[in-house]
Amino acid sequence: MLQINDLNVHYQSKQHPVHALGPISLSVEEGGIYAVIGPSGCGKSTLLHALSGIIVKYSGEILLKGQPLCPKTHSIGFIPQNFGLLPWKNVEQNCLLSLHIKKVGIDSKVRERITYIMEKLDIASLQHRYPNELSGGQRQRAAIARSFIMNPDILLMDEPFSALDALTREEAQELFIAIWNQYKVTTVFVTHSIEEAIYMGKKIVIMSTSPGTLVEIIDNPLFNTENLRENEDYLKLSGHIRSIIKNGWRL
Amino acid sequence: MKSLKRLYGFLQGFIMLNLLWYLLAVIVNMRVLPKPTEVYFNLDRLYGMELCMHILASLYRVAAGLGISLAVGIPLGMLMAYSKLWNRILNPLVYFTYPVPKTALLPIVMLLFGLGDTSKILLIVFIIVFQVIVSSRDAIINISPEIYNPIRSLGASKRQILMYITLPAVLPELLTNLRLGIGTALSILFFTEAYGTHYGLGYYIMDAWTRIDYPSMYAGIILISLLGFTLFILVDLLEEALCKWRF
Ligand SMILES: Nc1ncnc2c1ncn2[C@@H]1O[C@H](COP(=O)(O)OP(=O)(O)O)[C@@H](O)[C@H]1O
Ligand SMILES: [Mg+2]
Repeated sequence: MLQINDLNVHYQSKQHPVHALGPISLSVEEGGIYAVIGPSGCGKSTLLHALSGIIVKYSGEILLKGQPLCPKTHSIGFIPQNFGLLPWKNVEQNCLLSLHIKKVGIDSKVRERITYIMEKLDIASLQHRYPNELSGGQRQRAAIARSFIMNPDILLMDEPFSALDALTREEAQELFIAIWNQYKVTTVFVTHSIEEAIYMGKKIVIMSTSPGTLVEIIDNPLFNTENLRENEDYLKLSGHIRSIIKNGWRL
Repeated sequence: MKSLKRLYGFLQGFIMLNLLWYLLAVIVNMRVLPKPTEVYFNLDRLYGMELCMHILASLYRVAAGLGISLAVGIPLGMLMAYSKLWNRILNPLVYFTYPVPKTALLPIVMLLFGLGDTSKILLIVFIIVFQVIVSSRDAIINISPEIYNPIRSLGASKRQILMYITLPAVLPELLTNLRLGIGTALSILFFTEAYGTHYGLGYYIMDAWTRIDYPSMYAGIILISLLGFTLFILVDLLEEALCKWRF
């Protein structure tokens, strides 16, 4: 479980600090998948950077499995908006990066997992290609494979589908849900699409304008529902979220 | 592929240059400008041990000068990129000495380090090392900070960040540096091999010049160009091997 207590993040810009996020308190359940939605600049990326150990200067507390969050002791999967593949490593090397950094030995069991995930995400045939030889969708699948291969304590994704075109996006979302259902890795992802939040979030976290705080956390019964848009509850829920947005990201 | 293309370009250039040279030689018709054919037929004078010694002597000075420049310059550039304090200490020094024409230091280097290879190599180092420091520092500073994020979230150590991000990111820049350095070092040979040695292509050319042996002089010029070209191709091959992702 991930426990966030009174988290505040300030950036030091030109002498005076900018309050970018907080205060935020939230507990993320084990095996949950949380969609974070909020206005541009409210601190969604900042939140993910704090949760992934990239930002270390924050006030408050972040506990993962009861221990203060630390990228060295915890296993954190982070997928930035540009997917974060290293341009000088091919797909296979990128997928194994997390294991190499963590110095995990690759035995037959791990090898099996790697092969399975790469095949499931349909990138096995691309192993020897470099990121600049891949389409956006292929890059994203490689990034997702990298995260699932390391079997992280928590998976963080910053607008993972927004760089893809509409058709690729739908496919990628379905594929992600399929592999997520298999491993149930605790996940927090940022999105700016209401539909994506409803399709992919078991819980939907709505943030306020900057500095971002929590407006509402919605239990989403529609998670992973097919033909979402034809569902009556979908209209109700998206209507509710839209009204919050219209109200200036307030209840 | 890139080196093959370059080889092809070189051959084209080589043929064109020789045609122009031939025409010019026919038109000018003076002893200072022999026809390329005369020069090439004279190349056999150079064969054997003698030639090898000249090439090896120059190659040794260039390689040692470049090697030391990279070995000193890259770590200093890194230090300046990663430590604000060191950048503040070293930056004025680097910027003050950067525009000083280092060839003007030749007499001092000679007086302090004698006429041997030490002073020759040191002069090459003085000229090249500053460029290596500045460009490797800038290359590191220009790495977009985002690229570090995924590996930081994995808890990478400083050494891992260096091996997985910094070095591969600046490698193309370093190789460009190496190319520029080769060109510079070869031209410095004419200063450094003008004294205290009887070996080296720079010496060979100037010696032939003073003996008014023009065919040998041109042969020396051709050889030093070939040496430069060979080194360039080697760097290209190195780049293809090390930076596979760019090809
Ligand atoms: N490195 C930084 N230095 C100073 N301010 C920053 C920095 N990064 C982000 N900010 C500011 O912090 C706020 C939150 O940014 P961010 O987390 O990127 O927002 P979001 O991802 O929700 O669009 C914004 O107002 C932004 O201008
Ligand atoms: Mg953002």
